[in-house]
Amino acid sequence: MKPPPFTYSVPTTVADAVALLVEHAEEEPRVLAGGQSLVPLMNFRLAQPGHLVDLRRVTGLDTLRLDGDHLVVGAMVRQATAERSPEVALAAPLLAEALGHVAHPPVRHSGTVVGSIAHADPAAELPAVALALDAEMTVVGPQGERRIPAGEFFLGPFTTALAPEEILTEVRLPRFPGGHAFVEFARTHGNFAVVGVAALVAVEDGRVSRAAVAASGVAPTPVRLAAAEEALVGMTGDDTAVEAAVDAATAGLDPAGDVHASAATRTDIARVCLREGIGRALRRAEDRR
Amino acid sequence: MTAVERPAPPPVRTHKEDRRWVGKSIRKVEDPKFLRGRGGYVADLVRPGTLHAAVLRSPMPHARILSIETAAAEAAPGVHLVVTGAQAAELTGPLPDFGPDPTKHTWRCLAVDKVRYVGEGVAVVVADDRYLAEDALQLIEVEYDPLPPVTDPEAALRPGAALLHEALESNCAYDRQFTFGDVARDFAEADVVVRDRLRWHRSGGQPLETVGAIADFDPATEKLTVHTNSLSFTSYMFMAAGALGIPMNKFDVHQVPAGGSFGSKLFVTKPTVIAGMCSRILGRPVVYLEDRVDNMSNCDHHGSDRVYDVELAVMRDGTLRSITIDTIDDYGAYIQFGVGHHGNALAQVTGPYTIGSVQYRVRAALTNKNQQGAYRGFGSEVNNWMLEQVVDKAARELGMDAAEIRRRNFIPPEAFPYFIPSGNVYDSGDYATVLEKALELGEYDRWRAEQARLREEGRYIGIGLISAQERSVFSATEFWFWFDEPNAPVTSSPESVTLGVDATGTITATLYSCAFWGNSPETMVAQLVAEEFDCDPHSVSIIYHGLSGGLPATGPGGSRTTVMLAGAVEGASAKIKAKARRAAAHLMEVDPEDLEWAEGGFQVRGVPDQRKGLDEIAAMLHMFKHSFPEDLESGLEESKVYDHPYTTMPAPDRSDLGVFYPFMGNACHVPVVEVDVATGEVRILAYAAVHDCGTLVNPRSLAGHIVGGTAQGIGTALYEEFVYDDEGQLVTSSFLDYSIPTAMEVPELRIGHVETPSPYTPHGIKGGGEGGRMMAPAALNAAVNDALAPLGVRVTELPMTPDRLRAAIREAGAAPGRG
Repeated sequence: MKPPPFTYSVPTTVADAVALLVEHAEEEPRVLAGGQSLVPLMNFRLAQPGHLVDLRRVTGLDTLRLDGDHLVVGAMVRQATAERSPEVALAAPLLAEALGHVAHPPVRHSGTVVGSIAHADPAAELPAVALALDAEMTVVGPQGERRIPAGEFFLGPFTTALAPEEILTEVRLPRFPGGHAFVEFARTHGNFAVVGVAALVAVEDGRVSRAAVAASGVAPTPVRLAAAEEALVGMTGDDTAVEAAVDAATAGLDPAGDVHASAATRTDIARVCLREGIGRALRRAEDRR
Repeated sequence: MTAVERPAPPPVRTHKEDRRWVGKSIRKVEDPKFLRGRGGYVADLVRPGTLHAAVLRSPMPHARILSIETAAAEAAPGVHLVVTGAQAAELTGPLPDFGPDPTKHTWRCLAVDKVRYVGEGVAVVVADDRYLAEDALQLIEVEYDPLPPVTDPEAALRPGAALLHEALESNCAYDRQFTFGDVARDFAEADVVVRDRLRWHRSGGQPLETVGAIADFDPATEKLTVHTNSLSFTSYMFMAAGALGIPMNKFDVHQVPAGGSFGSKLFVTKPTVIAGMCSRILGRPVVYLEDRVDNMSNCDHHGSDRVYDVELAVMRDGTLRSITIDTIDDYGAYIQFGVGHHGNALAQVTGPYTIGSVQYRVRAALTNKNQQGAYRGFGSEVNNWMLEQVVDKAARELGMDAAEIRRRNFIPPEAFPYFIPSGNVYDSGDYATVLEKALELGEYDRWRAEQARLREEGRYIGIGLISAQERSVFSATEFWFWFDEPNAPVTSSPESVTLGVDATGTITATLYSCAFWGNSPETMVAQLVAEEFDCDPHSVSIIYHGLSGGLPATGPGGSRTTVMLAGAVEGASAKIKAKARRAAAHLMEVDPEDLEWAEGGFQVRGVPDQRKGLDEIAAMLHMFKHSFPEDLESGLEESKVYDHPYTTMPAPDRSDLGVFYPFMGNACHVPVVEVDVATGEVRILAYAAVHDCGTLVNPRSLAGHIVGGTAQGIGTALYEEFVYDDEGQLVTSSFLDYSIPTAMEVPELRIGHVETPSPYTPHGIKGGGEGGRMMAPAALNAAVNDALAPLGVRVTELPMTPDRLRAAIREAGAAPGRG
């Protein structure tokens, strides 16, 4: 469990980092942030990059700030920092709640929010959060900067819309005016979840005005559960409405089974997480009014 | 049936009552060095200049090796040596194997002609560091010709299954049925026969440091020195020397603390042989330390993996009459310890009950998996689970309370020593007291009320109650009584201690086997020495003697160490005191018989001011030879080789296996669980454990054993499984997928002790190292079954994962909990 040989650079600007990716393009370079996913994969030799571009000294990537209605999370913001940040608590409490489920505190002190999203593990929490919040991905490459909506970002397991020479420099999370919940089911505390659910619900005049529900662990990428959202909007948010949303959401699911849960059990567990997540988001939305 | 004639038990001992140190929770002697990071594990001992070995693991479960191309690896940077399996077979012999027919299921340090499981080693690379060694592994090209994978133990035994070992002409390495007592009569007379089919999947001990060896061959002396964290020393290490082809007197092994074993480091010689082979070729020190994937896929210490068909003959009043057990055990690709695990089962096959007869059939299936080794319980824990499951089923069928059916069948305290049908003896016990204490500690009645109340709220609470045995101190016979004509009917399993009192009167104890594997041997010995000599246990110094020049020692295993060390300390102390008495008598010019030991010295009986302290006597013996009679030698150091105190031979026809595991503890666990029927998750709400391991040496360290063993039992019951898929791939080869309980999953235990001394051991001590894991799987299965009883669900397969529980609940037609 030792990585194969690789070279390593520590640039101080995003432009230099991109240039290094271009320079080492033949070596299948990878960007290193917190290293909590990439380095284990390298140790297992499942990832064998010939060059690593470490972002740790790139100026400005550790900023965590409010920009109008958006929370902007830079590529080097550690998960533990975001978890305890007042800005996150205010502008994206869903992210804060989800971070509490990410592995263990020592991992969160090194791992980054953006790195986890870029890694795009279909069982991970933060990609589902980004998807539920309709986050925008700020990407910098040789051609400059572009923004990718979260809905177009996750293409498959560990696969995103990022080009090989692009860096995900920040994630912009719009504020959601309503209730939130992140619920997951894991075999043991801190382990990868079997299923995770990110739920956002806004209530106006006693009826659901807006809903966003995303799940991890039920498909090759995190998925938005539009059917559940549609089932909720316009309803009063009572138990019947929640159950209808859960039914609508799971009707469209076709998860793969693995060693931790068969497809049937995964769907059973998704129902429970959805029911709890939507229910909790609804209660919080009602409390906020 | 004729009554079996048995040798008389050893004389009953009288135990000292006013013990000063035995029974006290003193601070563990070992803790300061481990807490300071100075334990000295294998990785800590690797010195600059040592070369690093890495093993190429087979990606194939079952395949012929057609060719191995190593030229590119040999030419890679920093590489010193590449050895293939075929080359290793020229340099080393087969590894130590106590299995049924080692020449027909030959096990070597690297695979030779074919690979038999994913992870089996096919070549080793030695390089300047582990990184370079692993780089070179990638350059080795192996051409495989795949064979059909054999992954199911029952399918493995069917005709036509692909053969693991062609020479064996079958995948069944062992098949024998034993009958103890009149099983046919007991079944004929039974009112009810309870039948069960049960499945226990494999898991294993997960150490913090994996297994490793640093081998250093000195070409000048042709001596090989090894530092390894394998356990079991001196007495059996000649087998590792034999595999290496090195004369025993040129082979020295130094113990390294286990860093977690739980059985999984019991007599692991493969790393020693691999590192030793490479060091001898290169004339330089070589370390082979498994990484996590090596350990999980190739450690040779996976745990039991059994299918059971069981029948229990029961009377309507709840009396348990007889049991027939038919088990297939999936041993994996090799069978290094034979079916010794079933000896453990037969040591306590009838549990704490007066079941009068037993039929036991065991078939050992060979499959494309890493082989079984040892895991805390060594197969006895599986028998405990099987028996408690079927007893619970009987109680249900008879409409009896779980506690009541057990009380009705307990061996009563006055019946000891009690011979069970297999021939093993239970030395002492008080099972009803343990049960009652557990019911009280576990608040059994309160939880029953709570269970009913919460059922009204739609929650599924279950209370488990099991009473089971905790055998300790194995004899060597259990490894060979399986065969009518055993290859090596060994009867020795000694343990040795040397005690030295130096010229200043301080005491040093020398141990000859384990360095540290969890039972705190230093603390045990310090307390036992302090008890003998009235000194502070923390003033006793403990050192470990390596293999060369060491006294016989078997090493830890089967919860034997504390009892065996106690016997050795007692014997060595008696010799020290006999010499000191003579010396003191001479110095005081009195008759030795007029002296008595008191407060750390010898005094004239009833005259405390006429005395010589041990320090004074020791100083005289070390420095003043001419003050003593000619035959009193200088110094004050004595050794004791303590042999197993109670072993008897099996009957020639094996209708009786003799006494082989005589010091029998007992425990009762009462867990309370909640099953989330919608997700299949099990949460432990409360957990009480009462153990009787005879006289306690250190209650706190025993409690540590109970907590640790129970945590592992929770793992076995709910989380841990080495899963091989149908293609033979190990899909749980790291902690990413092999789930182990964390501190968040293990509840605070309420622990209670009962002390029923053994009549045959020093102070009445019994072993207690494995009890937690022997009880928890059975107890949690009982609790889950109790919780799911309202749904008509009874779980018969461990671990009880969410997937298995949900499948069972779905099958029972229970809707997933709505809202």
